[in-house]
Amino acid sequence: MKPELGTVGRSEPRKDAREKVTGAARYVADLEAEGALWAAVLRSPHHSARIVSLGTERARRAPEVVAVVTSADVPGQKRYAAILADQPALAVDVVRHKGEPVALLVARTREAARSALGLLEVEYQELPAVLDPVAALEPGAPPVHENGNLLTRYQFTTGDPDAAFAGAEVVLEETFRVQRVAPGALEPEACLARWEGDGSLTLWVSSQKPFEDRRNVAAVLGLPEERVRIVSAVVGGAFGGKEDSGVAVLAGLAAWAARGTVRVVNDRWESFLAHPKRHPAVVRYRLAALRDGTILGVDVLGHLDKGAYASYGPAVAGIFTESLTGAYRIPAVRVDTRLAYTHAPFSGAMRGFGGPQAHFAVESMVDMLAARLELDPLEVRRRNAVRPGDRHYTGVPLDSSARSMERILAELERARKRLRLREAGPGRRAGVGVSLAVQSMGLGAHVPDDSTARLEWLPDGRVVILAGSPDLGQGLAVATEQLAAEALGLPAARVFTAPLDTRRSPDGGVTCASRMTYLTGNALRAAAARLEARLLEGAAELAGREVAELRYQAGEVLLPDGRRLAAGAVASRLAERGARLAAEAVASFAYPPERTPQEYPVGIPHVLHVFCGQVARVEVDPELGTVEVTDVVAVHDVGKAVNPAAVEGQIEGGVAQGLGYALSEDMPLKASGEWVDGFAEYLLPTARDVPRIECVLLEEAEASGPWGAKGVGEMGVAPTAPAVANAIFDAVGVRLTRLPASPEAILSSPGGPPPGERPR
Amino acid sequence: MTVSFAVNGREVQIACDPGRTLLEVLREELSLTGAKDGCGGEGECGACTVLLDGEPVNACLVLVGQVEGRRVETIEGLAPPGGELHPIQRAFVEAGAVQCGYCTPGAVLAARALLSREPDPSEEQIREALAGNLCRCTGYAKMVDAVRRAARELGREA
Amino acid sequence: MPSFQLHSPSDLAELTRLLLETEGTVLAGGTDLLPRVRRGRLCPAHLVDAGRLRELRFVRREGPEVVLGALSTHADLSSSPLVRELAPALSEACASVGCPQTRNRGTLGGNIANASPAADGLPPLLVLEATAELRGPGGARAVTLPELLLGPGRTSLRPAEIIERVRFPAPPAPSGQAFQKLGRRNGMAIAVASVAALLVLDERGRIRTARLALGSLAPTARRSPAAEEALRGAEPGEAAFRRAAAAAQADAEPIDDLRASAAHRRRVLEVLVRRALERSLDRAARGRRP
Repeated sequence: MKPELGTVGRSEPRKDAREKVTGAARYVADLEAEGALWAAVLRSPHHSARIVSLGTERARRAPEVVAVVTSADVPGQKRYAAILADQPALAVDVVRHKGEPVALLVARTREAARSALGLLEVEYQELPAVLDPVAALEPGAPPVHENGNLLTRYQFTTGDPDAAFAGAEVVLEETFRVQRVAPGALEPEACLARWEGDGSLTLWVSSQKPFEDRRNVAAVLGLPEERVRIVSAVVGGAFGGKEDSGVAVLAGLAAWAARGTVRVVNDRWESFLAHPKRHPAVVRYRLAALRDGTILGVDVLGHLDKGAYASYGPAVAGIFTESLTGAYRIPAVRVDTRLAYTHAPFSGAMRGFGGPQAHFAVESMVDMLAARLELDPLEVRRRNAVRPGDRHYTGVPLDSSARSMERILAELERARKRLRLREAGPGRRAGVGVSLAVQSMGLGAHVPDDSTARLEWLPDGRVVILAGSPDLGQGLAVATEQLAAEALGLPAARVFTAPLDTRRSPDGGVTCASRMTYLTGNALRAAAARLEARLLEGAAELAGREVAELRYQAGEVLLPDGRRLAAGAVASRLAERGARLAAEAVASFAYPPERTPQEYPVGIPHVLHVFCGQVARVEVDPELGTVEVTDVVAVHDVGKAVNPAAVEGQIEGGVAQGLGYALSEDMPLKASGEWVDGFAEYLLPTARDVPRIECVLLEEAEASGPWGAKGVGEMGVAPTAPAVANAIFDAVGVRLTRLPASPEAILSSPGGPPPGERPR
Repeated sequence: MTVSFAVNGREVQIACDPGRTLLEVLREELSLTGAKDGCGGEGECGACTVLLDGEPVNACLVLVGQVEGRRVETIEGLAPPGGELHPIQRAFVEAGAVQCGYCTPGAVLAARALLSREPDPSEEQIREALAGNLCRCTGYAKMVDAVRRAARELGREA
Repeated sequence: MPSFQLHSPSDLAELTRLLLETEGTVLAGGTDLLPRVRRGRLCPAHLVDAGRLRELRFVRREGPEVVLGALSTHADLSSSPLVRELAPALSEACASVGCPQTRNRGTLGGNIANASPAADGLPPLLVLEATAELRGPGGARAVTLPELLLGPGRTSLRPAEIIERVRFPAPPAPSGQAFQKLGRRNGMAIAVASVAALLVLDERGRIRTARLALGSLAPTARRSPAAEEALRGAEPGEAAFRRAAAAAQADAEPIDDLRASAAHRRRVLEVLVRRALERSLDRAARGRRP
């Protein structure tokens, strides 16, 4: 490794920033498509119903309607998959949630398509519905699918929990409830699909997983994958909500049915109802400890609300289950996670992937333990936090990952001390709370987890990255450009990322799971080495020399006579012969058998983790129950901050999402019987609701990561809500066990704001 | 019906139903796709923010018939195509305030309106000015930095 | 957007005529109306845009009265030096509506005519005892706000009648007024509960006139006679304000909705009443000093 880094560690500007800031960036809805038609989707108005009849004749006959598609018309597979192929492209016989697509209609304009939906004649027979994951598992609960409502159950036991509880000096128990929240990417899901003259299909997507979209579209249309080409448009945010092929499949069907070009752009309410949400959860947490704060064991029962379709539920349930012990060393663990279908809008891969739910529970319990024992919450954390050499309860050794723990705790202590000094505003009560969190990286053991990256040297001297996982706006492109540039000794400006096109780009896997910088970075490093080799080979041939006589340096080949050959010149000469100066490499998440317990279901456990902690300061109005978050300090071990501004941006965005989770976001069923499905009622934090966020980036290098880099994408979210809840307790002595924290709960809690000093 | 108004300093005449929203007309008739639909046309997200006679409005809640004879500025009018960025745009880029970019045009215009009225805004004023522009990526932190940076630069230019 | 026909009259007479002929709905800022049309909650065949009637957008003093054109926007009213000086409760309320984009479009007349129980401008207008000057086919007439506001989304406006102006007497010195609003977040917040108060003090510093109005706490924004009674002639201060706050419960009819329960609204209303009164007193006291 070079002693001094060239570009890694610098906040290089993003190359797409200019087009975004000038309005030139083309998201799917902006793509010019001459003569493009519009599709509208008829969606279920019921939680659960049988489709008695679906009449399309009137609609098909209408002059403005170009095509109508129902499940009967679907030429290939009726259902597509994330993990389980249980999700119909268009409803088959029954509908299982409000907003489920029932039929597709194509017309010349968006308005015409929408109003023509009224020509479809649907008769439903409403069926009983269940909307609660605990109720869904009780005998007699209305079935969502044929094989019962329990989709997945994970039951693990480590050590002797019964003995731990028997020998405990203190036992705590609490039940936590966390709500349904939406990814809320500002760009709703959208897809433009074009049926090509040769019977193939091209789709422009706003997606986290173009290659899987291709698989799913091909399957639903009964086409071989090679006949489906997916191009990534600029993506306007995702956060797990675009880890879903729904819109691509609909657009593909529409284009096929119309034999033309069709645009499908979700309205905001459609995004709320028909795309993945975070799994709501009910977590009954029991904890056994000694009086000195040592946690002896935990016993946790978790119910996750899957909603109507599987999506990534089993994987979320896995990470949720692994995260239940948080960042702590707990010798005796019993966990029972039940993933239950309900007739709600389905849950999926939303940012954090089970971590936020688990951490709200465990981080609240740790603070409750501290309060019960009259110990400092940070001290209790310090006592129980994992250290290198400890094992996760699944048996995974936590060594290098956990090296940062001491520093994280020290930084949290410093920040807390400083924030405690601040006086509260008149009539308000200040409180400071902390949290620790762990986020796993990668898809989990026995799940293929590769990323392929391809580098090509262009005749103009620039290097292009062809990566198969899209940038969602989080800065993946700039980070990987820097990693490739570093590997090749080039300035970052010389490396750029090609738009993702399944025809040209290798499969990088899904942009998710905090895996991209790590995997793509590793793949790029390996590809860079190969590219260098290929360059030297090409140069040797051109110069009539042996490869061993040549040296590579910063984009040039040094010849023994002192001459320099620019890589672009070599590429240019190769291009004349129809050859490319390119190299490809695959990086995988390694699950070495000696570090990976084998007895768990697929996807469990994870072997690479990132740790972090946050401190939140709040001011509570004890008369109104309102909470103002005045400060958040986020301490994150990122291994290596490839692009510090981008890393901070990820953390700041994650914290803001965590604040929304804690205080204002919720998607309940209204009195009218409809779900909250718009931004008027679903309250995202505004610029007036998010305070300054201080990011403390720690860099405990991950040996297996590119220049030590780990993942950061999801980390910001999990610690925030518990830090806020703990701060609220510190301020007014109210322990919140539900999210979002409502003023009503703060005022009406039995703890209530005490008239005088708050408990310490 | 024809509606006449100025867009980015240029007079346009659009033949359309005056009941269409300004957002639709900008995007579909004028190919000015910088203004975006983020909330289903309910005026809840600010992604469609444009300046109407210099003031930020949600174009999804303005009917094109209502802009007859008036002056509309979109993000595309802030910098000449391929030319130098406006200081606010440059500040957003340099401060790392652009992630997915969907909210960016609206936020930049809201900032422009603020700085033209209040050249040395406090943090509170900046957040108030951006309160109608939802962002899901950045947590607003670097957006606020960007506006402050732009204010300093514009102050120097003045 | 569901289709409708848009008409753009250039003067009041034409607007009235069009409203009569088409039985259409007035469109002002559109920030309440257009989202409802989009969601299919309102299906007007005709919208009559009042936007060209520039003469209805003004803020001025006419002797002892303040007169506001119905097409004044929330931004106009929150930034107007005259409104800020003489009706700070109103300017504060207008400053709290939505966000800059909505404030630049939403109008005083629209806010009143929309008659949302949560409308921010209404409690201040009530304590200012504003009258609305209406114009319709039958001519002009003036009504008080309580006469105008009938229920959630319902007013006593007659067919083809619009609000032209709003007028209120400038409060005498020494007086103080305040507006308190509670929302579920800081930005773009719809009121969970709001209170406007106006106190006029006598030479001895006792309360000569007390006016209190509640928002988001009843089917319409409304005054609280019970609270006002409790304050009449009282020595202003914590004791009186607590009594008034408790008394205000009698005039509140809060409901459970997505934003809060009725019980919570009752709980916070007393807090908001007290704070509005404290603030008003503070401003009145400051006004008394030379």
